[in-house]
Amino acid sequence: MTKGSIVAGFIAPHPPHLVYAENPPQNEPRSEGGWEPLRWAYERARASLEALKPDVLLVHSPHWQTLVGHHFLGVPKLSGRSVDPIFPNLFRYNFDLDVDVELAEACCAEARAMGLESKMMRNPGFRVDYGTITTLHMIRPQWDIPVVGISANNSPYYLTLDEGVDEMIKLGEATRRAIEASGKRAVLLCSNTFSHWHFHEEPALPEDMTKEHPQSYAGYKWDMRIIELLRRGEVEEVMRLFPQWVEEAFAEVKSGAFPWMLSAMGFPKTPAELHGYGTVIGTGNAVMEWNLEAAGA
Amino acid sequence: MTVVSAFLVTGSPLPMLRPDNPAWAPLAQGYARAAEALSASKPDAILLYSTQWIAVLDQLWQTRPHSLGTHVDENWYEFGDLPVDIRVDVPLAKACIDGCASIGVSAKPVDYQDFPIDTGTIVADTMLNTLRVPLVIAANNVYHDFASTERMAAMAVAVAAGQGKRVAVVGVGGLSGAYFDRSIDIATDHVRHPADDAANRAFLDALCAGSDAARAAVGAFASATKADMGMKHLAWVLGGTGGFSGAKVHGYGATYGAGAAVVEFVLA
Ligand SMILES: [Fe+2]
Repeated sequence: MTKGSIVAGFIAPHPPHLVYAENPPQNEPRSEGGWEPLRWAYERARASLEALKPDVLLVHSPHWQTLVGHHFLGVPKLSGRSVDPIFPNLFRYNFDLDVDVELAEACCAEARAMGLESKMMRNPGFRVDYGTITTLHMIRPQWDIPVVGISANNSPYYLTLDEGVDEMIKLGEATRRAIEASGKRAVLLCSNTFSHWHFHEEPALPEDMTKEHPQSYAGYKWDMRIIELLRRGEVEEVMRLFPQWVEEAFAEVKSGAFPWMLSAMGFPKTPAELHGYGTVIGTGNAVMEWNLEAAGA
Repeated sequence: MTVVSAFLVTGSPLPMLRPDNPAWAPLAQGYARAAEALSASKPDAILLYSTQWIAVLDQLWQTRPHSLGTHVDENWYEFGDLPVDIRVDVPLAKACIDGCASIGVSAKPVDYQDFPIDTGTIVADTMLNTLRVPLVIAANNVYHDFASTERMAAMAVAVAAGQGKRVAVVGVGGLSGAYFDRSIDIATDHVRHPADDAANRAFLDALCAGSDAARAAVGAFASATKADMGMKHLAWVLGGTGGFSGAKVHGYGATYGAGAAVVEFVLA
């Protein structure tokens, strides 16, 4: 069997507004559009993913928060209706996804071998979180590639940030080992917003783009600083700044997907490509890609 | 009399899903005793606030008349599913939304099929509400503090009084926040830190001494034990009852290391 590999990693944030704005048949609410630059960013990412022809998508989502260890979806088929608890007016989505249980089990076993508490989720009635679903829809609306869904262990919030990041770095290493042993072509998805300062009230028409702007200028400046560093391939500097970034931008990356993905990719020094940036209810969202295959990594 | 009973209860599904587990049995049994007390008080509706229903934009109120289905908790799915059969007192909930304007809070109704009603609300409704009276369910907006949660509960009770209704006030949430982050033998579950256990017990004593003692204790207790959401579920009870003269602890224990109790208040 050929060695499996991580062919690419994407920062793929999950504001449900993007699904709402697109009006796909799976989502019940209808919109007039909105957030087009971010949706065009996802269009570019979709094209790139199509060309990569991955066997599996792995997504780490902050909206499946687990207290005891790192959990992996472990049921071959999961379907249902996902209603966003924060934006139920925008996101009521009928999902139907295939899980790559074999790879999920391998990731779980590797994580356990590295001393991480880890667990397979085997309850067929489980409702997949809206972060996972939004990211997957935005990157691959066809839903034709099996998925490994990974929870966000609460350690960055429960322990110190450093201890939490250390857990995620190990989880990334475990993920890479499992992928390499699987022989599969894998794409990683970091389902995170950058600056998470947001408005506290929703505009009457959510897609009224005259109301959309960064909620915090400090948060916006952090977004630009991080994007610029990533575009230059300076991930080491980003990781050095990580605690300050998390603190000052209230960044959702604290939940672990970002260090997980970078660690799995071996903290690549190749520049990341920015597909686009935009704010959603004031938060900063970048769609970015590391195409490791093209970079010859 | 509008408020006919009041309770502070754990929102963990563990005692409900495994009432036979010796470590969780006291909480399940405590819930059964509290349910009897609630039934005896004959409320027309339950005003319920659960720390686990997180809101960040507006103050949300459930207005779907009947929610039916099955809920699978994102953490405790291996212990079983939670049946959902929740009825809401819609006229009262809508009046509470209107009432929010009078206290300067922006509020919204939530009426969606398959809305993920939080585990704490489902557990409390199942374990406590054997009468099956309708609920009024208010979200925990993370930007609202203890005092504004009290004001909201007081508003809800005033609105219920305006409708001539008898209500039970229920705050759903935990005590000390530290939990076991590695798998444990559930039969041996206990409050993770001895200091938290002592603080929980002292805090329950304060509740039993009445609302003045509870108010005096809650701030230091919440910060020392990283208590669930700063004990805003107690703020709901304090605001709703306008104070209580004592309390009875029907059950106390741990839910995977975190402190949990079932408490019935003696109304002033
Ligand atoms: Fe999010």
